[in-house]
Amino acid sequence: MTDNIEIGQYVLIRLPSEGVRIFKLQENGRIGLGKFGSFDVSSILGFPLGTAFEIINDHKVKPIHSISELNIDEETDTNIQKQELTKFFSSSAENNQNIIDIGSKIQALTNEDIEELKTSGATSNIGQVIIEKMIAGHEGFDKKTIFSQQKYLKRKQQKFLRRFIVEYLGSSQLLESFLEKDHSKTFDLSIETLGLMMSYGNVKPGGRYLVVDETGGILTYALLERMGYEGTIVFVHENEHANLAALKYCNRSNEIDNIVKPINWLQFAEPENEREKWEDKTEEEVRKLKHPESYHRRRERVLKTNEVIDLIEEANFDGFFAISTLYLPEIFELIIPKIGGSRPIVIYNQFKENLMEIQSLLNKDNRVLAPMLIETRARPYQTIPGRMHPVMTMKSGGGYVFYGTRVFPSESIQAVGKGVKRRRVNNETASPEGTPELKKEKEEKIESTPEVIMES
Amino acid sequence: MFYHYKNVIDEGDLVLVFISRTTIKPIYVKKGEILNTRYGHYLHDKMIGLKFGTQMPGEKGYGFIHLLHPTPELWTLSLPHRTQIVYTPDSSYILQRLNAKCGSRIIEAGTGSGSFTHAFARTVGLKGKVFSFEFHEPRYLEAKKEFEEHNLKNTIITHRDVCNDGFNIDMEINGDIIFLDLPSPWEAIPHLNTVIANQAGICCFSPCIEQVDRTVKALEANGWVNIEMVEINVKRWEARKDMKRSVVDVINRIKSIQGKKLNNKISKEDSKNFKSSRKSLKVKEGDENFKWTEVTKLETELKSHTSYLTFANKICSLNIQ
Ligand SMILES: C[S@@+](CC[C@H](N)C(=O)[O-])C[C@H]1O[C@@H](n2cnc3c(N)ncnc32)[C@H](O)[C@@H]1O
Repeated sequence: MTDNIEIGQYVLIRLPSEGVRIFKLQENGRIGLGKFGSFDVSSILGFPLGTAFEIINDHKVKPIHSISELNIDEETDTNIQKQELTKFFSSSAENNQNIIDIGSKIQALTNEDIEELKTSGATSNIGQVIIEKMIAGHEGFDKKTIFSQQKYLKRKQQKFLRRFIVEYLGSSQLLESFLEKDHSKTFDLSIETLGLMMSYGNVKPGGRYLVVDETGGILTYALLERMGYEGTIVFVHENEHANLAALKYCNRSNEIDNIVKPINWLQFAEPENEREKWEDKTEEEVRKLKHPESYHRRRERVLKTNEVIDLIEEANFDGFFAISTLYLPEIFELIIPKIGGSRPIVIYNQFKENLMEIQSLLNKDNRVLAPMLIETRARPYQTIPGRMHPVMTMKSGGGYVFYGTRVFPSESIQAVGKGVKRRRVNNETASPEGTPELKKEKEEKIESTPEVIMES
Repeated sequence: MFYHYKNVIDEGDLVLVFISRTTIKPIYVKKGEILNTRYGHYLHDKMIGLKFGTQMPGEKGYGFIHLLHPTPELWTLSLPHRTQIVYTPDSSYILQRLNAKCGSRIIEAGTGSGSFTHAFARTVGLKGKVFSFEFHEPRYLEAKKEFEEHNLKNTIITHRDVCNDGFNIDMEINGDIIFLDLPSPWEAIPHLNTVIANQAGICCFSPCIEQVDRTVKALEANGWVNIEMVEINVKRWEARKDMKRSVVDVINRIKSIQGKKLNNKISKEDSKNFKSSRKSLKVKEGDENFKWTEVTKLETELKSHTSYLTFANKICSLNIQ
């Protein structure tokens, strides 16, 4: 992976208003950021990913320290300016009672004023200049408390500063941009939840995973990053072709084919029927064919399918991961045996109830140890020294994760469990149920032992 | 074993013995040894050759354990605590947010009980590196021994007070992910400049907001940007069943009791109904003879605050201060 901004790459562009957008960097391209202006791709090339820029005139940019600071110029006079401004704000601290609505005064600044300022060359200062101009023209301003003034300043700045960051487009960033556009596409999945899946899933370089991913490939992308683009992902899907749209952003599309092996549910469920017969023709025979290309294409496809079927039959996967809208309890009989011993089963759902059903089902299944249902939420704070507090509004959602470990139950223990259970049942007796309870007793036996232990 | 799964248990392997959800015991399998638990005892000899994940019956015909393969997340639940540790909900978010992956180079201070170190080591793999620092000598020695036993080949631990003496060692560190879990991160931050890669991300982990305050100021002063603090809230839910108790049944029962008072006879059938509704507590949850609603309940022990996580980035080549 390169760490610098390069042609051909997909990148994330983060705007001060906290919006994000995805762009592909094309040779001789120009990127438009709406009201923030536009810039030539060539002017950001070679800088490290993560660099902040400011648009100066003629579609050029210059790197800056940060997009959020009041002023980025190093010259001392701006520093003084900054101090002055801060002092100004500090001395004007009063209580909220005196806040007045200066909205209308801000409006008094005409669009021409703003345009003029924008093109005046003082672009790096533009936000500040505008603000100063507004302050100058408004007596009531100092009646606002520091707090609201700063908030106000920040809002204004976001509107006028033509700054942005060019970031590496990893799975977290891609998810972030999906969340902003249409979070239903990724079923409310949050970065913290995705991270939790990676850790509970013990994802590591070179792993071999069985995956159901209906997000268009976000989960798969996260797995690939962690795997270091080594190992195997068997990707089970329900359409003619796997939807892995997200992977086009990872800038490594040529390596993916060797790792991500799509298979449809029919092939997965009935591998013995779906395996295709194939015999290579001799070179001589191929030469005689009318359409040797179609022979080669077919050969490739058949071998690919059979290769995935081999993987399925080999089983012993290092983990099962699912973000799916399918009713998974229906296919546990197919999935569980495919997972290697002591390997994780990690399932995401946006609805707790769906996972609750899975948990109560697998509570009774002695092939899955210690099923858990977890919810994790990151709560961001306003991070200003002296004024830390949780942000006032945040995205809700984030979904839920089911996590359990595949284990091999022992036959002999079932017998022991039964005995123990029977004794307990007999002691408690009173039960009106008599004997036609074989099935039920089996269930209880499985449940009883871990539960007895858990009381400790 | 933290880098690759094994299928079968060999002598010398680290096995995490799952005794209950709250008791996971790490053992090294050694011929002739016996594992004693409250739930029976278990011969190491018999573990050899079993598959990881096997449920193993006790010697005396009662009890069982599960023989689990080590993972950083299970290790976190089973390790000998020498300090406060970082748990999976926090560590998993930090890894994801800082884009930790195969090949990343980590700087961690202090090592503490080595809980997070394992997760870092696993995630960055053998192409990556973990440089961990601990100034408390006994803790350093314990961790060093443990990392050797666990064969964490990509992890280098150094005995060092990073706040006073910085991070430089005899090796190029070039760290792109920094994790500071020590009482005064602001004293360590200025020392990072010489050991970080051109692009670096940091997370400082502190329980008190006053610490965050000082940390943010130090980060700003040292050219770090995009500073944001977050807190992770985690909840564990349990699937439960709640009995559907019917008002109609209640009414019928009252009726029948009143009827019986009049007639002075109670049938067997009635007494069963009576039990089902009044003494529902005695009925086993999920009993097929009754109707249930599927519900969830929060697990009782809730970690509601661990620490604040302060994130920031830095690009050294553009160090405009
Ligand atoms: C809370 S523990 C870290 C726990 C660790 N993150 C884990 O998950 O196990 C903090 C550790 O930092 C160490 N420490 C504190 N100040 C230090 C310093 N200046 N240099 C190196 N280590 C330090 C302490 O000795 C302690 O072991």
